[in-house]
Amino acid sequence: MTQAAGHPPSSQFIIDGQAPETVVYPASVDEVSRLLKEANDHGRAISPVGHGAFLHVGGVPKRYEQALSTTALNTVIDYQPTDMTITVGAGLALAQLQAILGENGQWLPLDPPCPERATVGGVIAANLNGPARFSQGTVRDFLIGIKVVRADGTLIKGGGQVVKNVAGYDLPKLYCGSFGTLGVIVEATFMIRPRPEAQTTLALSFSSAEKAGEAALKLTGSDMQPFFLELANFSPLPSSGDQSGDEGVYRLFVGFAGMQEEIDDQRSHLREVLGEDTGVIEELSVDEAQTLSQALQDFPVAGPAPLRCKVSLQPTQLATFCVDLEAEARRRQAPVRFLARAGNGILYTAFGGEAVPDDQLLALVDWIRVHATGSNGFAVVEEIPPALKERANVWGTVGKAFPLMQRLKETLDPKGILNPGRFVGGL
Amino acid sequence: MDQKILDRLYDIVGPDGVVAHKSARSVYDCDGYTLEKAVPEIVVLPHSTEEVAAVVKFLNKERVAFVPRGAGTGLSGGCLPVEAPVMIGTSRLNKIVHIDLLNRYVVAQSGVVNLWVSNAVKDQGFQYAPDPSSQQACTIGGNIAENSGGPHTLKYGVTTNHVLGLEVVLPDGEIVTLGGTVEDVPGYDLRGITIGAEGTFGIVTQAALKLTRQPQAYRTFLAVFESVHHATQTVSGIIASGIVPAALEMMDTLIIQAIEEAFHFGFPTDAGAVLIIEIDGLAASLDPQTERIQAICKHNKAREVRIARDDAERMALWKSRKRAFGAIGRLSPNYCTQDGVVPRTKVPDILQRITEVSEKYQLRIANVFHAGDGNIHPILMYDERNADETRRVVQAGKEILNACVDLGGSLTGEHGIGVEKMGQMPLIFSPEDLMVMTQLRSVFNPDNLCNPNKIIPTPGGCIDVTTPRRQVPL
Repeated sequence: MTQAAGHPPSSQFIIDGQAPETVVYPASVDEVSRLLKEANDHGRAISPVGHGAFLHVGGVPKRYEQALSTTALNTVIDYQPTDMTITVGAGLALAQLQAILGENGQWLPLDPPCPERATVGGVIAANLNGPARFSQGTVRDFLIGIKVVRADGTLIKGGGQVVKNVAGYDLPKLYCGSFGTLGVIVEATFMIRPRPEAQTTLALSFSSAEKAGEAALKLTGSDMQPFFLELANFSPLPSSGDQSGDEGVYRLFVGFAGMQEEIDDQRSHLREVLGEDTGVIEELSVDEAQTLSQALQDFPVAGPAPLRCKVSLQPTQLATFCVDLEAEARRRQAPVRFLARAGNGILYTAFGGEAVPDDQLLALVDWIRVHATGSNGFAVVEEIPPALKERANVWGTVGKAFPLMQRLKETLDPKGILNPGRFVGGL
Repeated sequence: MDQKILDRLYDIVGPDGVVAHKSARSVYDCDGYTLEKAVPEIVVLPHSTEEVAAVVKFLNKERVAFVPRGAGTGLSGGCLPVEAPVMIGTSRLNKIVHIDLLNRYVVAQSGVVNLWVSNAVKDQGFQYAPDPSSQQACTIGGNIAENSGGPHTLKYGVTTNHVLGLEVVLPDGEIVTLGGTVEDVPGYDLRGITIGAEGTFGIVTQAALKLTRQPQAYRTFLAVFESVHHATQTVSGIIASGIVPAALEMMDTLIIQAIEEAFHFGFPTDAGAVLIIEIDGLAASLDPQTERIQAICKHNKAREVRIARDDAERMALWKSRKRAFGAIGRLSPNYCTQDGVVPRTKVPDILQRITEVSEKYQLRIANVFHAGDGNIHPILMYDERNADETRRVVQAGKEILNACVDLGGSLTGEHGIGVEKMGQMPLIFSPEDLMVMTQLRSVFNPDNLCNPNKIIPTPGGCIDVTTPRRQVPL
């Protein structure tokens, strides 16, 4: 039954300084339906949440009366290891799901930040992923079925339990990255994969972002199959000494995974592909690789930062963008750390610096957006003081597709009770 | 149709962009699903996105329904003009606009043939991964509409996994971009919901497609079994062993015989079933996987496991497989292909049910299918001059799909619902599910002028196809 309804206002699930009047933890799909119908009838604004790990992302809520946490919907509904599919409640934490799959040597090939606190529903709604997206893809590539409770309480489903299916419109895609604004995801079916038998990580250092970027492009253009390819302007490994003291060093982390034979083969050809003048190629120990993986995964949310932006570009545009960005950040006295999914053109940035003034933060956002959109890319502000969110226009603009998005939102949530104001264009 | 409308269409696309004569139009009366036929009143073949937009804007203003068409290789009647007098063909939108190997994508117009994309980049070591069996003819636009698959989607995924962005002419004539040329575009994934919408959300005119590096090496096996049972056990064994093959295809006796007669590849015509197993990737990974696959085949009493000696033999093997449907022409004047899906482990059960259906309706049914992902393609043979046999084919097809649903599967894995399977949508979707789909269609296509009478059954059900709604005499 609904718990914790009696603690208004809640100190949990605070979004941009706003606390919900109530928090509900429905323990069944029926209960989610009932709660949503009630909220819809009364025009009560609801934010669907899991453990609340990523609430800093998104626009300031227009209204926020109730947090609906799916964490009590955390069961495995159906798992067929030999069919390589699994159906789970949306509130199951990703780490738990991976543990269950791990018993059969399988996994859902997604490695987003904070897997202990990221729920399956959250991973879908916020389209969370990590370094492995280079070789594995993102949640839309694995989600084959979904059950959602609409704003009016109606339960709907899309897709199914089989790995290949084109019956009806592809609803699962619609909910990937929909940010809780089109319904409450209650159940998900994924196709899963065998877990790689072995894994190794190699670290390379370069004196410029361009050189590191060039090396990454050589790899993506070769017939090697890196598991991940990450480019950073800092050392994510604590053992590498003072992290602020290595400015000017650009690191490329190359992961290989699969059968031992594949790993050995690629490791032995790496220098050949990158060029003989490549510097030291350091192979990390198992412990180091573990620590690094965690750090690469968690970077988008790790530590305090007054400003974090995620930029999506073409891979060839990354290095130049990073060079210019560093110069701009220095000029504004807001040193920037960045981590790029070099094969995907995705760049995560975190700005530091003591008390960077608001106008400087906004100027940085502006710079990033102008340069990203100038290259047909996109920039999303993932973290910034709430007071600046509106001026920063955190999602940016989406062009001529926006009227369709508006109509979609009005169709599925006509009263605007689901996460109002938190998504693109204030949807 | 009103002469004024015809005249205006002429004005927009020019005389070489219009197919008006009855005999020329009749070519467009069906796609690869031949049980139902309808001749469009006019076919227009625009030369550019702008022409598509102008045609659509005009038709929207005049409230005239239209249907988009690619190469017409679809298998569920997706481009059948049902109460839609105008057909808009994409065959003139046939240019590859931009190739960017470093960023691994291609921008192609929607009338570009699937195989042209891979051909344009193969010398540089790249490929466009989705490879429907009709890839020598089918278009990118059609692939996007149907979210097409193919043998190699087991490892590489289907069309939607390889599309970055779409340029779409919406049913009101507006041109929009959904997605882009970078990976993460903020907002709802309208690209994702448009792919597989079977042309009911608008007309795709251009797409940004992801390129995949060609694998270092391939190894292709032909495993011969005495029975379908042993072949399916082998499929399960390979999947369970942790190998992700690039392709895992099964053919039964009937289809082996037809293919062998047509292409003389050297298939054993007395075998109960054969598997085409392909692994690809780093050369170093193939030997250890080969050992495992051979052991699994042997364990399941394979009579023989051949390995393609060279690329030529591999290509010949795939050519035979991909032309399997054509080979059926030797056995029967007409055929109807089903596209159900079952969980991989239920393949033996569905094959058993197909055998029962075959006996019950006294129809010959051949099986050639994507065993690795449980996507069956029973081929039901008939002669359309025989009205009773035609009716039995429809009935048998429905029964097979019902069995797929009973086993936890789906009505279609890659061919789409089209007109063919609309009546069975309620088997897997509730009225609420169908309602949300209708609403989604209205977001894009509020007046239902773009490819009407597809996918979603109309409440009240005028689409119960106990006898096909034929628009030509039987």
